[in-house]
Amino acid sequence: MKPAEDRIRNYLRSLEHALWLRGLEDADTLAEVENHLRESVEQELERGLGPEEAEREAIRRFGPARRIAADFEKERIAPMQKVLLILAVLSGLFLAYLDSRPGWDATGILAGGLLLSAGLLTLLGYRRPWLIALAVGVWIPLHDIFLTHDFTMLFVLLFPFAGAYLGWAARLGARKMLHLT
Amino acid sequence: MGAMIGEALKGHLDMLLLAVLEKGPAHGYAVICSLRERSGGTFDLPEGTIYPALHRLENQGLLASNWDEAGPRRRRMYELTARGVEALARSRGEWQRFARAIDSTVAR
Repeated sequence: MKPAEDRIRNYLRSLEHALWLRGLEDADTLAEVENHLRESVEQELERGLGPEEAEREAIRRFGPARRIAADFEKERIAPMQKVLLILAVLSGLFLAYLDSRPGWDATGILAGGLLLSAGLLTLLGYRRPWLIALAVGVWIPLHDIFLTHDFTMLFVLLFPFAGAYLGWAARLGARKMLHLT
Repeated sequence: MGAMIGEALKGHLDMLLLAVLEKGPAHGYAVICSLRERSGGTFDLPEGTIYPALHRLENQGLLASNWDEAGPRRRRMYELTARGVEALARSRGEWQRFARAIDSTVAR
C-alpha cells in the first residue's frame, strides 16, 4: 500500500505531465493545486477520516488530472485558435491574390504554398484541420467561380486539405512520442 | 438531475465565482467551499475545474490575484477588479430577468 504522502505527489506529477503534454506547464498553477489538495486533506482529517482516506478523498474531489489539464487547455488555447484561423485566412487571401495576377504562372509554388500554410498552421496547434484547409484554400476557387463560373478550380482544395491533415497527423504523432518517453 | 445541474452550472460558473468573490478576496479552496455552502451542497463541482475558470477571469481582467505569504502556506488570493464588479452587476441583472421569466412561465 502506498504511503498517504505519495498520493498527492503522484497526483501532482500526473497533472504536471498532462499540462506539459499540452504545453501548459506552470509552477504557479501546480503550487496552487498542491495548496488546495493539502488544505482539502486537512479538512477531511478534521472531519474524522484517516490520513490515506483523506488524501484519496481530496484527490477524488479535485477531479482526474487529465480532465483538469484539458480544462486548462480549453481556457488558454481558445485565443490562440482564433489567431491561427486569422493567419490561415490571410495566407489564403495572399495566395489567391498572387494567383489572380496576370503574370503569375507558378502553379507548383502556389500548390506548395497552400499545402505548407495549412500544414504549418495545423502543426502549430489548430484543432480542426478541415476548417484550416478551407480558410487557406477556398479563396482561389471562389475567385474563379464568381468571375468565370468555373468550378474546376475546386480541385485546388486538395492541397490545403492534404497539408492540414498531414500537419494534424504529425502533431498527433509528436504528442504520442512525447507521451511514451 | 445531477447531470442537468452540472451542465447548467457550467454556463453560469463565471457569474457564481464573481459573486462568491464579491464578499472579499479568497483563495481557490475557500471559493469552492463557499460555492458549495451557499448553494446548500447543490453546486458540488469537481474542485479542480474552478482553477481554469479563475485564471480565465483573471486574464479577462475581471479578477486580480496575488500570493499571500503570511500564513503557514503560500496561497494565491483572488479578488474582484472594478471591471469584475461591473461584469457581476450586469450578469446578475440578466440572470434575474431570466429567472423571473422562467418562473412566471413554469409557475402553476
